[in-house]
Amino acid sequence: MAKLEDSWRRFSEKAASYTAYAKAWEAKIGAFLSFNPQHNPASTSAVPAGQSPVAGLPFGVKDNIAVAGFPLTCGSKMLEGLTSPYTATAVQKLIDGGARPVGKTNLDEFGMGSSTDNSALGKTNNPWDVTRVAGGSSGGSAACVAAGQVPFALGSDTGGSVRQPAAFCGVYGLKPTYGTVSRFGLTAYASSLEVIGVLATTVGLTRSVYDLIKGEDGNDQTSLKSEPGPARPVRKIGILKNLTGLAPGVEAVYRESLATLKKLGYTLVEVELPTLEYAVSAYYTIATAEASANLARFNGIRYGLRPEYAENPEDLIRKARTAGFGDEVKTRILLGSYVLRSGFQDQFYTKAQKVRTAIRRDFDRIFEEADVFLSPTFPTTAFAHGDTTMTSFQQKLADKFTVTANLTGQPGLSFPAGLADGLPVGLQVLAPVFEEGRLFEVADRFAEAVPPAACPGTSLDWSL
Amino acid sequence: MYDTFVGLEIHIHLLTKSKVFCSCKAHYGDEPNTNVCPVCLGYPGVLPVLNEEAIKLAYVVAQALNCRLSPRTLFERKNYFYPDLPKNYQISQFRDPVGENGFIDVPLGEGVTKRIRIHDVHLEEDAGKMIHAGDMSLCDYNRTGYPLLEIVTEPDLSGGEEAERFLQYFQRVVRYLHVSDGNMEEGSLRCDANISINKTGGGLGTKVEVKNLNSSRFVRKALEFEFKRQSAQFEAGTRIVQETRLWNENRDVTESMRSKESSHDYRYFPEPDLPPFVPSGDFLRLVDSLQVELPLARRERLKTTWGLSAEQADFVSESKSLADYFETTAKASGQGASVANWLMGDVQKELKHFDLTLEASPLSSARLAQLVTLLESGRIHIKIAKQLLIAVFEENKDPETLVKEKGWEAITTESQLQPILDKVFAEHSGVVDAIRAGDQRQKGFLVGQVMQATGGRAAPALVNQLLAKALG
Repeated sequence: MAKLEDSWRRFSEKAASYTAYAKAWEAKIGAFLSFNPQHNPASTSAVPAGQSPVAGLPFGVKDNIAVAGFPLTCGSKMLEGLTSPYTATAVQKLIDGGARPVGKTNLDEFGMGSSTDNSALGKTNNPWDVTRVAGGSSGGSAACVAAGQVPFALGSDTGGSVRQPAAFCGVYGLKPTYGTVSRFGLTAYASSLEVIGVLATTVGLTRSVYDLIKGEDGNDQTSLKSEPGPARPVRKIGILKNLTGLAPGVEAVYRESLATLKKLGYTLVEVELPTLEYAVSAYYTIATAEASANLARFNGIRYGLRPEYAENPEDLIRKARTAGFGDEVKTRILLGSYVLRSGFQDQFYTKAQKVRTAIRRDFDRIFEEADVFLSPTFPTTAFAHGDTTMTSFQQKLADKFTVTANLTGQPGLSFPAGLADGLPVGLQVLAPVFEEGRLFEVADRFAEAVPPAACPGTSLDWSL
Repeated sequence: MYDTFVGLEIHIHLLTKSKVFCSCKAHYGDEPNTNVCPVCLGYPGVLPVLNEEAIKLAYVVAQALNCRLSPRTLFERKNYFYPDLPKNYQISQFRDPVGENGFIDVPLGEGVTKRIRIHDVHLEEDAGKMIHAGDMSLCDYNRTGYPLLEIVTEPDLSGGEEAERFLQYFQRVVRYLHVSDGNMEEGSLRCDANISINKTGGGLGTKVEVKNLNSSRFVRKALEFEFKRQSAQFEAGTRIVQETRLWNENRDVTESMRSKESSHDYRYFPEPDLPPFVPSGDFLRLVDSLQVELPLARRERLKTTWGLSAEQADFVSESKSLADYFETTAKASGQGASVANWLMGDVQKELKHFDLTLEASPLSSARLAQLVTLLESGRIHIKIAKQLLIAVFEENKDPETLVKEKGWEAITTESQLQPILDKVFAEHSGVVDAIRAGDQRQKGFLVGQVMQATGGRAAPALVNQLLAKALG
C-alpha cells in the first residue's frame, strides 16, 4: 500500500501530467467547485512534515470546510464568491503534515441531500457512470477520490454524507466518532450530529488521515480525545435479522460478502434493531431544528449574496435568503422552525431526542453481543440524475442505515464490497465510540480477500 | 387604591478583557468593527469557546444575590433575526441558568430595607449596534459578543421611585463586586422594566414591558408615566393590553412597540456547540473567595464599629474603594468620626480643587491617618492641619515630614512661648498698660499678636493661661 502513497508523492514533480489528468476527469465528472494545485498554504507546525504518512499528498476538501484563500461556498448561491478568511483545524493538521489541499469539492447545498444534485453551483457525475449521481452530500469528495484526481479527500457526515457517496463511488468513507475530529471550520448544518470524515482509496490511507486529524481542539469545546478500550481482535459481527428493502444487486453483494466474512473466520450474529424504523424521523427532526438556527447567520449583510436594492435591513435579509437558498434548504429551515415552536417541542424535538437515546441503548445492547455491526451502506447503488423512482422523500428514507451512527455518535466505515451491474456496492461497519480500529481491521481483512475494484479509466501514473 | 408591581430585567457588561465566546478585545469606544474576528462575525464554520473569566464573574454575582447556583449550567440558542446579531441567534441561557431563586436586601431610606427576590441570573452574549444614517443602516460589531449578564427580579418593587433606588443600589453592588463598571451612559448597565397594576389586594395585573430606559431617572419617570396611564385606563374601564412599550425621552411618554400577539417565538433549544458548564469545587471556592461585604451591610457595620452618623456612613460606603480607604485610615489613626469628617469636608474640597480622584491623589490613607493623628494628639492645630492637607497635595510628602520641614508643630510649653510673649508685651506696652488699667477688651488683640508671631502654632489654651498670669 505504501506504493500508492509513493506514486502520489510525485504529483508536484509531474505537475503537468497530473494537472492534465485531473482536468480531463474534471470535464467528465465535475467533482470540484474550485481547483488550484498551485496553491501552497503555509504550515503552522514547527515539526518537519517528512515523517508524516500524508507528506507530499494532494487532497480535496468538501466546500463546506474552511481553507484560507480558497472559496467557501457550501454549494450555495448564498456564499458564491466568499473566500474563507481562516482554515479548519482538520485541514491545518493535514497541511502541517505536509499534505496540500488542491481544491474544494462539490456538495449538496450546505450538505443537505444524498446526490450532490442539490448543489446550486455545479453538477457532479459518478466516475463509474457519468449518467449517475456520485451520492451526497460529499459527492465531489467521493468522485475525485474514485477518479484518481486525489488519493484522499475530506468530507462531512451529518446523516451518511461521507459513507453513502463513498459506497456509490467505490471508495472508503469514514465517519469518525462524534467529537474526535474538531468541527472548527466545518460549516454547521446539524451541529450535534456531524463530524468531518475521510474518503480515500485504501484502508491504510483512511486510517493515516484519521490519525492525523483527530484530537482535542481548543477551538471546539465539543471535541474529545479518542480513548479506545484495550485492543482485541474482532470476532463477532452483528447483522440485521430481518433485512428487507434492498435492491437486488445490493442484496447479492451483501450475501456474498457475508459468506466471505464467514470464510475469513468471523462469527455472524443476528441482532435486532427495533428502533431503526424511527431513526430517519428522529434524525430529520433534530437535523432540521439545528439547521434552522445554524443557517440563520446567512443574511447577506456581512458576506455572501446581497440584493442590489432593499428598503430596509429586514427587506435585505428577506431578499438575500429568498434568492440565496435552494428549495431543499428552505424546506429544511421551515421544518426546523416548525418543530422548535414553543408549545410544540415536546411533540417533536424532545420526542426525537428520546428516540435518539433509545437507539443508543439498542446499539449498546448490540455491542454486547457483537464487536461490530454490519449492513449495506445504502439500499441501492448510485441512481441516475433525475431518477424519478428516487424522490427526495425516498432518498431520505434510504438514509436509515447511516443516520443511526450520527444519532449515537458512533463511528462508521463504508467499504467497497463488490460490483452490481458494474456499479460499486458499499457495506458499512459500525463500532462503539472510539473503536475506529475495529472498523479498519474488518475492512482491511475484507480487502485482502476481495480487493476493491478500480474505477475504469483511472491510472496511477496519470496517463490518459 | 392600586397595587403596583414592578420587576426589572437588568443587563450588565462583565469586566473581562475579551469577549464571551472569542478572544476579541471587549473594549468600549474603539473604531467601529476593529474588535471583530470570524467567530464574533458569525462566519461559516466557527464555534464559540466559553470565556472562563466571564462564567466566573457570572457565578460571583449569582452567589452575591443569594441564588441557588447551578451545578450544571446550560447554554441555549435564542432565535431571532436582527441585523446587529451576526448569527441571528443569541447564545443565552433558559432552562438551567447560572443562578435562580435569589434575593437582595435594598436600602430604601434610613432604617428601611426591602427584600427583592431574584428570579434568575443568566449569562449571554451582547449584540452589536446599528446606526441609521440617512438612507443607510450601518452595523458596528465591536460590542457583539461582549459578556452580558442578565439579572431578572421578581415583581417585588412597588413603583418608579423604588425601582430607581433599587437600580442605584444595584449599580453600587456590581461595582463593589468589581464585576461591571455599571455605567448606564456607556450601556454597560441597561434596564428594562415590567409593570402591572391592580386594585389593592387583587394580585398581579396585566404585564406591560417598558424598554429603552437609559438612566435610573428614566426608569422612575417611565414607570410613573405607566402608572398614570394604566390607572386612568382602569378608571375608564378599558382593558390594559399586554404589550411592549418604548420610553420616549424627548416627550416623556411611553409608546407602544409591539403587542403580545406579535411577540417573538424565540424557539429556544440547547446550544449544541457548548457542553454544559459544570463548576468544580475549586471553581466554587474561587467564586466564594471573591465575595465582598455588600454596601448595605458595610454601611451598617461602619456605623456600629466606628460610631459614624448615618450621613457619614452613607458617604463613606458609597464606593468600595472609599470604604476600604476609610477603614484603613480609621484603623491606622484610631479615629473613625474624624477621618469621616475629613473625607467629607476638606479632602473632597482639595480633590475638587486639584481635580484628582482619591486613588490618584498624593493623599494615601497612611498620610491621612498621620494628619489626623497629628491633629488629635494636639501636635498641630486645626488651622495648621488644613494647611498641612494642602501641602500634602502640593508637595506630595508625608505630613510628619512637612510639619518638621516647615516647623509647624504646635508650641505647647511655657518655656517656648514665654520669650515670644515677652517680645509682644515689649512691642505693645501701651496695650499692656491699658489692660492692666482694666480694659479687658484689648486682651484679644494680644492673643492675635502672639498667634501671628508664632504663625498660628501656639496652643490657644497656653496663650490664654500665660496672658492671664502676666496680666494679673
